[in-house]
Formats: sequence, structure tokens, C-alpha cells
Amino acid sequence: MASSLISNTTTSTDRSRDPSRRKKKKKAQLKHQQEDQNHIKWKSQAQQQIYSSKLHQALARVNLTSSSSSSSTSTSAPRRGKAVREAADRVLAVTAKGRSRWSRAILTNRLKLKFRKHKRQRVSAAGASAARSKKPRVSVLRLKGKNLPAVQRKVRFLGRLVPGCRKQPVPVILEEAIDYISALEMQVRAMTALADLLSGSAASGVASTSSAPPS
Amino acid sequence: MLRCLNSSENFAGTCSEMTVLERQRERMKWQQQQQQQQHHHQPNQSYFCGGGFDGAFSSLQVPNSQGLRMMMMMNGAGAGTGDGSGLGEVVANANVNVNVGSLKPDPGSENGWPELSKFELPNLGFVSSGFDANSTISRTSSCPPSVAPATGLADAKGKESVVAENENTNKKNKASGEEEESKITTNNNNNNNINNRETSADSSKENSKASEVQKPDYIHVRARRGQATDSHSLAERVRREKISERMKYLQDLVPGCNKITGKAGMLDEIINYVQSLQRQVEFLSMKLAAVNPRIDFNIDDLFTKEVFPTCAPTSFPTIEMTPNPAYLQFDSAQHAASCCGLDMGLNPPDMGLRRTISAPVSMPPETFLDTSCFTQILPFSTCEADLQNLYNVAFDQARSTTSYPSQPFTERQTFCVSNTKYCDLVPRRSLQAGLNKRRKQKAREEVARDASIWNAFSLQETPDFGFVFIEIIAGIKKSYFNLVRICSKF
Repeated sequence: MASSLISNTTTSTDRSRDPSRRKKKKKAQLKHQQEDQNHIKWKSQAQQQIYSSKLHQALARVNLTSSSSSSSTSTSAPRRGKAVREAADRVLAVTAKGRSRWSRAILTNRLKLKFRKHKRQRVSAAGASAARSKKPRVSVLRLKGKNLPAVQRKVRFLGRLVPGCRKQPVPVILEEAIDYISALEMQVRAMTALADLLSGSAASGVASTSSAPPS
Repeated sequence: MLRCLNSSENFAGTCSEMTVLERQRERMKWQQQQQQQQHHHQPNQSYFCGGGFDGAFSSLQVPNSQGLRMMMMMNGAGAGTGDGSGLGEVVANANVNVNVGSLKPDPGSENGWPELSKFELPNLGFVSSGFDANSTISRTSSCPPSVAPATGLADAKGKESVVAENENTNKKNKASGEEEESKITTNNNNNNNINNRETSADSSKENSKASEVQKPDYIHVRARRGQATDSHSLAERVRREKISERMKYLQDLVPGCNKITGKAGMLDEIINYVQSLQRQVEFLSMKLAAVNPRIDFNIDDLFTKEVFPTCAPTSFPTIEMTPNPAYLQFDSAQHAASCCGLDMGLNPPDMGLRRTISAPVSMPPETFLDTSCFTQILPFSTCEADLQNLYNVAFDQARSTTSYPSQPFTERQTFCVSNTKYCDLVPRRSLQAGLNKRRKQKAREEVARDASIWNAFSLQETPDFGFVFIEIIAGIKKSYFNLVRICSKF
């Protein structure tokens, strides 16, 4: 539906006589179509499979990290949960192939944090998570001085939710939000499937492996 | 001066009617002079205008009473419209000119002139464009071109055709300067405006397009009827359309947004949805973290059960995990690396790889093992911050993967070959690492660290290459999965 909208707006402008402008319009149209395809890609099963396998590898490493770097007692559940969550986000960003701003922001954030100390990482993670969970009221209070219109305020808040879109103009934020929402949906689907698989196979797996000796 | 003489001569030939042409010529000259007068504000020219009037008035003198009445009415009409001020100026000027004293006109005519001048000066303007008597008198009178489009705007409120055409005529007039025909062209254009107001939809679009072409940003937007055509509003409209198009797409994406109208409400829904999705991801990650240590990747079982029945992990002393063959190799490789230092690094992956080769072929475990190899190899390279090695590794990996489809039955050999390359890399690094204990520890930490995107994060020192590398690795992994599909067919 959106693609039809885009094609309408672009076909109306295609009657321009200047051939260079026509080429520009075609490029813009192609870009729009590609972007649409990118949004649609997140819904495909292939992407989900790719993500699931990558996530699986990542989780393996997370597990090893937590088990090898520190004793099993010291690793608390929330820390491991955060580690898993970060791993999941990173895998999602990689699956996006760095085409969108939020994916690049996620990946560069990790690099930046690795440059700095781990403490700062924890602080920023905590702050980011707190900001995410806060209601829009905070932003309203902060921005009342600016007296922005309601729509602007909300778009700015949405920009803070989507990684890497804090200082972007409104149309960019909306564009990134579209991609981010479809990516998040895919992530949720993949993780639920993985969790079900693991939890479902937990009991059965233990039983089977214990029964079948390695041969 | 000459004109005055001519006029006087004409007058001298009184009551001999001037030809229509001569009258028109006089009118044009008068109008031109009026224009000049308006622009330059020089009293001398107005004198000439006064002189110019004389010749014209002679002809108008014939229908005296009737003409006077007509003229009075027209004058009244002229004064009633918005341009009365302009005409008043003209009249005042003409009066001044006449009263100051023209050199040439006959004394006999002076009596009649002042009276007539009051009335007839504006009337000439009316008469010259008399065929637009209705509401266009004001517009087509002796106004300077700047006034004409203003009146045009007043008449056609927001109708872009007139505005655009007036703008165009403005431009034309300014370009042409003070030529004789400029006045007539404005009149004609204005007349055309009136005539073609309703039927100029296409031309208006063309005009708006023409005006848009002069804009620097080349965004082609069709200005619709009844909407302003200045560049600011057009750019604003483009921006608004972009935003609304994206909001519509978001509305489709976010469930439950169909019922809500208005951007604010929709944005609220979108924000809530994003927050809920993020919370879900957090919850699921906690769940996965809780589930993981107990189960230890039974997915490996599910993936490779049919493929990996026989992989004896007996060689590995440290077996903490469930006897899942593929994962054991993976796991034990990691453990070996972490516990025994990197000198051992050579053996476990080598052995693991050989074991995989001995077993019937399956890609997923090999992929895991490859990555395990790389996690061991890469820490070394990161210690050295040697990008080229990384690229070599990547390309080796690519080569190894691409070689698979061509040689399905010699995979073992190819893998061995590629493996040797990796093994070649490993001992070098391990030796160097073995020398330095600190480096060992660092490498161990690197191995143990959560590097889910090992290819991306190994490049910490050189983030510039990050995304190029990501692309490369993404392509490599793509090829991996393609091979998975191919091999699964066997």
C-alpha cells in the first residue's frame, strides 16, 4: 500500500522534461522500492532463520563467557539476561547488514563501549533502559520550555526509543522506526521460537542424552 | 516640444477629426509618458503628457455634453474603484501641468481644457481599454505594471492561474522595461486572464511549473488548484507528504492503529508498541538466559542428530556439558583454549575438525567449529591489530566455503587444506602469545568474551573497516547457509 503511494507521488513527477531530473526521480523511486523491500524482508522466514542461527551461536558464546570468566554462582540472572539481550540486539543489527541507522548505531555503540571501561557500559545500559521504560511525561516536562507541538514531541521521544536516532529530523525518525519495528517483531518471533525449542527440548533432551551413551 | 507643436497644429486644424491611428498614437504616447512619469516622477514629462492630451482631447470634444456625462460617469466609476488614487495622481499632475502653463496650446482652447482635463485624462485610460468595462477598468487603467497584478490578485483570490500569469507578466514587463508595447501586453494579458480564467487549468499548472523550475531544489511538485505556489509552501507540502506517507506505513505496521485518526494518537500507539516490543525482547532474553545453562544447546542435537551419531569426545578430558558431540567439540575447544592456554589451541580445533571430517558431512557443526576456530584465531590478531590477517582469514574461509559446492566429495580434503591454513596461522600466534603471559590472559579473555559478532568486534581498533567487513562476513555467512541448503539435499 505504501509502495503504491510512493509510486503515485513519483509518477506524478515523472513528467518533468529535464532528463537528469527524470533520472534522479527514478533513482529515488528505486530507493523507495528497495526500502520497502527491506521492510518486507523482515517478515520473511529466511531472515528469521538466519537470525535464529546467528543468535544461537551468539548465545553459545554468551554461555561460555559467563561460565568461563566467572564462577557459576557469581553470575546473576539479570546480568546474564542483559548479556543475552545485548547479544540478541547485536545479532539483529548484523542481520540488518548495517543498512539502517539503528543497526549501525547498535554496532558502533558496542565498539565505543568496548573502547571505554565496562563501568561506563553498565551505566549507559542502565540509563538507556531507564529512559526506555519511562513514560512520555518526562519528555513533555523537559520540552515544555521549547513548547514544541505534540506531534513533534512524540516523534522526538520515538527517536530516543530507536537506537541512533536522537538528533535526526522527523522523517528520518519515522523511516527508522518502520524498519526497527519490523526488525523487533522478527526478533521477538525468533526468540520465542528459540526459547520454546530450548525449553521444550530441555526435558526431552536431557532424557535422551542420558539414555543414549556417546558412541 | 515637438509633440506640443504637433498637437497645436492638430488643434489648429480644429474640428478636423484626427484619424483613429493618430488618436491611438497619442494615447499610447500619453500612456507611455504616464508610465514614465510614474517611474521617474519628473514634472517635465508630465508637461508633455499634458501636451499629449491636447491632441487627443480635440477629438473628444465633438460629442460635448454626452461625452462629458459619459466621462463624468466613467470618472466616477474610476474613482470608485481602488485605483482612484492613481488616477487622482494623474489628474492632479495633468492639472498641474496644464495650469502651470503650456507653451503651445492655443489660448482659445485653454478655457475648455482644464475642465476637460479633469474628466478626460482618466477616461482616456478607460477608453483605450474600454472593451473591458466591467470590473477591469481599474486594472487596465494607467496604472504602472506593479499595480495591475495587485489588482489582479485582489480579483482572483488565490486562483493561481491569474496570479501566475500576472507574475509572468510582471516579469515580462520588468524585462521589457519601458517599451511602448509593454502596456498593451499587460492589458492584453489581463484581458486574457479574464477570458481564460476558468479554462487555464493546464496553463496554470504549466505556469506554476515554470515558476518552480526557477527554484534551486528541483523537487517537482504539482501545485494544485487553490494552493499557493511560492517555493516555501511547496517545499512544506513535499515535507508534509513525506511524513504522512510514512505515518500511513506505520499505521499498517502497528496493530490497532487503524481505528485511530490523527498523528498524535497514532504516535502514542507506535511508541507504546515499540516499548512493548523492547520489553518482550528483554523478557525473552531473560528466559533464554535462564533456560540456557541447563540445556546447553540441544538445538545442536536437533540440527545434527541425524548427522552426528558418532563423535567420541573421549579424547577431551574436560567434559562438563552433555555428551552432544558437535557441541562438545565446540565447547571443549573453547575450554581447552581457556584453560590450557593457547599452546593447546592448535590441537583441539585440529582434532575437532578432523573428527568432523571423519563423520558424514554436515555444515552446521562445521560452521560452529569454524567460528570457534576463528574466535581463537582472531584474538591473536586483535592483539596484533593486524587487519590483513583478518582479511586473509575471511577470504580463506570464503575460499573454503566456495570450494565446497564444486567438490562435494572431496570436502574432507578441502577442509583439511583450508584447515591447514588456519592451523598455520594458529601456531604462529600461539607462539607469540605463549611468550607473553599478559597476552595469554588477554587472549583468553577475548576468547571468553561475548563476541557474538566476532567479525565486527574484532575490529575495535579500526572501526572504519567495520561495516565493510560486516558486509563481507555477511556475504560469507550467506554462502554458508546456501551451502547448508545444498548439503542438506545430500
